[in-house]
Amino acid sequence: MRAEQVKKEPTQLMSNNKGKAGVDQELIRELAKLLDETGLSEIEIDRDGLRVRVARELRMQAPAMAAAPAAMQATATSADQAKAAVDDPVAHPGCVRSPMVGTTYLAPEPGAANFVEVGSRVAQGQTILIIEAMKTMNHIPAPKAGTVTRILVGNRQPVEFGEPLAIIE
Amino acid sequence: MFDKVLIANRGEIALRVLRACREIGIATVAVHSTADADAMHVRLADESVCIGPPPAAESYLNIPRIVAACEITGADAVHPGYGFLSENARFAEILEGHDIAFIGPTSEHIRIMGDKIEAKATAKRLGIPVVPGSDGAITDLAEAAKVAKGMGYPVLVKAAAGGGGRGMKVAHTPEDLDSAIQTARAEAKAAFGDDSVYLEKYLAKPRHIEVQVFGDGKGNAIHLGERDCSLQRRHQKIWEEAPSPALNADERHKIGETVAAAMRKLKYRGAGTVEFLYEDGQFFFIEMNTRLQVEHPVTEMITGLDLVIEQIRIASGAPLTLEQSEVNLSGHAIECRINAENPRSFRPSPGTITYWHPPGGLGVRVDSGVYQGYRIPPYYDSLIGKLIVHGKNRNEALMRLKRCLSEFVIDGIETTIPLFADLVNEPDIANGLYDIHWLERFLQKPTQDHSSVQKTPD
Repeated sequence: MRAEQVKKEPTQLMSNNKGKAGVDQELIRELAKLLDETGLSEIEIDRDGLRVRVARELRMQAPAMAAAPAAMQATATSADQAKAAVDDPVAHPGCVRSPMVGTTYLAPEPGAANFVEVGSRVAQGQTILIIEAMKTMNHIPAPKAGTVTRILVGNRQPVEFGEPLAIIE
Repeated sequence: MFDKVLIANRGEIALRVLRACREIGIATVAVHSTADADAMHVRLADESVCIGPPPAAESYLNIPRIVAACEITGADAVHPGYGFLSENARFAEILEGHDIAFIGPTSEHIRIMGDKIEAKATAKRLGIPVVPGSDGAITDLAEAAKVAKGMGYPVLVKAAAGGGGRGMKVAHTPEDLDSAIQTARAEAKAAFGDDSVYLEKYLAKPRHIEVQVFGDGKGNAIHLGERDCSLQRRHQKIWEEAPSPALNADERHKIGETVAAAMRKLKYRGAGTVEFLYEDGQFFFIEMNTRLQVEHPVTEMITGLDLVIEQIRIASGAPLTLEQSEVNLSGHAIECRINAENPRSFRPSPGTITYWHPPGGLGVRVDSGVYQGYRIPPYYDSLIGKLIVHGKNRNEALMRLKRCLSEFVIDGIETTIPLFADLVNEPDIANGLYDIHWLERFLQKPTQDHSSVQKTPD
């Protein structure tokens, strides 16, 4: 009699519903439900030679996907390298670097047009932006005449000494 | 407690401050010149801001750039380290005006102790024994001659705006006095922008003994024992010990209490060091340094107190960690300042460290920001690290030091390690029998063979 009573509890999890593949689907569903309810990430049970583990982890892409991107990567690399060389603004001879520490302002005052935009022609000494420090506004001049080809900082951005601000060619 | 501390310094002390901030969970900002972009503390800091080119005037001494760096990073406190702006009253004031905490004393106390004449008068007023000398700055040569005659020769002419061993000239006889004063004035004007000078009795064979103090700014102060820094070359310390081999417990207690009482009266805030010349059982005040000192580690080793953390805590308004009765001095510590210099000519040796192996083990501490592959910039002082040892007593510390010096490897540059290896073998050093002239006399002797340690290239 006692043995029968004990047997009752496990049957709530271990059903005889074996499904097509011979796997206890009810069990898996129950375990998955337990995961969600308890917030656990993993449950493993081992009973009568059957071991079942249900885990929350998601795997990324399936192995079949890996082959396709590889070919694209090969062609992209040399273009990337060329772009990287162009990308390092400090190396560019027309790079204007910050002479001070402070916060950038691209326009003379809020709402006004920016001092310069990409494509703007500037004279030597013309203000290209302001750097503010300790409540004083410092006009940053173009070191030589030319065209602004890149603006490398945003508005109200903290900059350090030597930070590339713009490229004038 | 502060959220973010900006470290306004470089080299080993910047790394020291960073470590303290890390341990108590404060974010760190490292400001640096372009020459220090690869410094270890810059690499480890949470944020870094390049503030200028290598010259100190355009970087580490540049107040507007440092304040701007505080603004853009939102730092709420600045630790000035030692040297640079650490005793610049104006810097402390400017930070106060910007609502940024200066981790150090008030600008007023920096100012008082920065003027050596006023510092001496203040010390006297607070009950600290002083060196006999002129009552303030010298105004005419005849007066100076009278004061000197009264004290007895030799006398020392000192710059009021000097300090740290700089701006001093000796007059051995009455005939030397006028030219000593004139030369001292000219040099002081050039170096400090102020040609005020005063006279002091020149002591024959004093030791340099200094007392570490901490005040909470509200009238409480403690002393943490003394340090003996008598081994100096051109007034620059190279070897420091705590406690001093020259003092007994009674003398230690007496001078410590005298200094602590003075700091209580002054309502001093933060870390400070009161420096004395000690001769024949008598102490003579020379100056007070209102900052953390290079040699603070030896005091940390014998007290177990982290002085930088204490500085930060006090600056943020916390009380002193220890009461005087809780201060316990245990064992003996020695520090050797390792410079990138030839160990005999002291010619600077900047360059790349090709191999770096510091010693280790019980009671061994190396405070340094350099590493293998690091390029020592030629723009700043030559201190690359400090080797500190601690032992149960002075003998154990000396043996430990000897072992460490033979193990320490720094290749690619010349360092002063061989000099320390020689010193540790000297009987006078082993017996603690040296005064502030001892090292200069030793260096004038012909060189020994350094066969026990790595050969230094000529």
